[in-house]
Amino acid sequence: MLKANSLTKNFNSNIALNSVSLSVSQGEIYCLLGANGAGKTTLINHFLGFLKPTSGEVLVNGKCVTSNPLDTKRDIAYIPENVMLYGVLTGLENLEYFSALATGRKKPRDVLRKLLADVGLPAEAAERRVATYSKGMRQKVGITIAMAKNAKALLLDEPTSGLDPKAANEFSRLLKTASENGVAVFTTTHDLFHAKETGNRIGIMRSGSLLAEFNSDDVSHADMESIYLKNMRD
Amino acid sequence: MTWLIVTREVREFYRDGRFLFGAGLVAVLFITAFLVGYEQRQNVFSEREVAQQLDYDDWINQPERHPHDAAHQGMHVFKPIPPLSFVDPGITNYVGSTQWLKAHRQTEVKFRPAQDATGLQRFGSLTPAWVIQVLGPLLIIVLGFNSFSGEREQGTLRQLISLGVPSWKLLRGKALALFLGAFLLIAPLLLFSVWAVSGDDLAGSRHDTLIRSGFLVLGYLVYLGIFIFVTLAVSALTATSRISLIVLLAFWIIGTTLAPRALVDVARMVYPIPNQAEFNTQLNQELQREYAEAWQEHFGTDKRWGSDVPLSRWGEALRVDDYAGYDAIDRHFGALWDRYEDQRRLQEFFGLLFPMLSIRSYSMAMSATDFTHHRDFATSAEDHRRLIQDLISSNLTQHADGHGERHFDYKVGKEFWSKVPRFEYAAPAAFFALQGSLNSLGVLLASLLISIAFAFWSSRNLI
Repeated sequence: MLKANSLTKNFNSNIALNSVSLSVSQGEIYCLLGANGAGKTTLINHFLGFLKPTSGEVLVNGKCVTSNPLDTKRDIAYIPENVMLYGVLTGLENLEYFSALATGRKKPRDVLRKLLADVGLPAEAAERRVATYSKGMRQKVGITIAMAKNAKALLLDEPTSGLDPKAANEFSRLLKTASENGVAVFTTTHDLFHAKETGNRIGIMRSGSLLAEFNSDDVSHADMESIYLKNMRD
Repeated sequence: MTWLIVTREVREFYRDGRFLFGAGLVAVLFITAFLVGYEQRQNVFSEREVAQQLDYDDWINQPERHPHDAAHQGMHVFKPIPPLSFVDPGITNYVGSTQWLKAHRQTEVKFRPAQDATGLQRFGSLTPAWVIQVLGPLLIIVLGFNSFSGEREQGTLRQLISLGVPSWKLLRGKALALFLGAFLLIAPLLLFSVWAVSGDDLAGSRHDTLIRSGFLVLGYLVYLGIFIFVTLAVSALTATSRISLIVLLAFWIIGTTLAPRALVDVARMVYPIPNQAEFNTQLNQELQREYAEAWQEHFGTDKRWGSDVPLSRWGEALRVDDYAGYDAIDRHFGALWDRYEDQRRLQEFFGLLFPMLSIRSYSMAMSATDFTHHRDFATSAEDHRRLIQDLISSNLTQHADGHGERHFDYKVGKEFWSKVPRFEYAAPAAFFALQGSLNSLGVLLASLLISIAFAFWSSRNLI
């Protein structure tokens, strides 16, 4: 579903991505680990078509992102580290707007209210302006927007950072449900524990290169930590 | 989908208070300007009607006397006030509205360039046209400067684009939302015009006024449309809304205050115009030459009104003299007036850079208060003067020249006075205004197309 083929991106003389190849298939949850500046967000921006590869290619559902920028976006839903919403609109109005733009038709408000309740946003908050929301509440609206799109792939850029443990846990469950429905999930994170719990496949990235890739079932927590630290040290 | 974007934009304008505050302020100014203008017009209108009537009564009731004496006293004609002058008074206040029709000369119409030009841009005469021309763009800028740049700062633009929304759809939605704002600004103009015209029996041809109002609204929508797309383009190109606001305000200040003044001077340099003293001197010299030539040809002498021509030919001499003057007058005033039109056209072309220069001219033309309309009136008045002159000279030729030396004992009374018709002037129809505005309208439409293209180009890659 999501595929990068020896993707390289240079910003002037800086190499942001160095011949990265990876793929996420339907129903798979791929967790990309790496420190700040490793190139995780740059990789996501390529899947979104916000950046153009210096060499190599990125495919969504078999289609090249560079040549089909709009088509490929229809198949993915994106949740950034900080979900950005319109402050003067309520959570419900934000959801209504974004989901209608994503799918091309407006959903009834009751359906939208139910979706917000499902991710744990209090009913009272849904009718308040987003300007008054905490980060966690905004993330929840963002998740709902992504879910409402019914996309074939989810792209998440450190989605749980700033969420309390309970919310993070609920969030992991949502991802699992999505993958059970055949959605390909690609998420970046710093959180080894979270990656091991939710991910099927785990990749470790450093300075623009994908250094290791393994199935989460094949390693224990302790193994994973040592693999991660070993790769960070070199 | 487009409607969705429009509603969200409008909801945001409304909720953050910008629209209520900005549009409310503009609307209050607009309505004030409108009412003041309308009130003034009503007053002046009735004064003029009365004066025109009194003047003609004086003509009819003058005592028996020699017709040429009456011609020296002459007649006054008053320029009717165009129904839409309260929307855009144009040059009304800077050119004469009364013309004295007297023997021998077309009277001076106040066409001093200083009045014609700088007066037009006087900042601060509160008229509906000024409100739309100057504050309209400002309102558009205030509503639209952060359309894209604000969303970019907020991060919502990324979110939108990641959904797969094509940028041109966003642009279209945002433009429509701003058009809605522009329309709310112009709608009162339309409503007031219809109301003012339908309840007003002084207004002349209502049908014509409606057509003119329609074109006026159309022109202003094009004008504001240019600002809408420029605003969106700048907003798409600039990194932050602060920068877009600065860029747009700079464009606004230059376009609505500096450029209109500067271009008047440029036009005067390119098409210089004699001052009034020079103009009169040249006209006099030319007249003397023409007179001398005509007298030489008809009477064998270049001395006007001398003893060489007997009084039995005085009526005939008057006619020859008059006709010799007509040509010189036509040439001189014609050349001067053509220069004014050249100046106007030059300014209109600069409307490609600063749309106010073309809308100003277009708006005046549609309100029938521009120079072309004034020229039409002045020409009509001069025609009427010639009609009086010709009636008098042919009457003298027929009746007085036979009296020989006692030519000046000839007198006429009411019967002759009433042969001179009342001056009936109907302002030209909307079609005339449109013909004269092809240039300004063309420039406005071209600017709109360019700004649309610019906006689509600027927003092709929004991240």
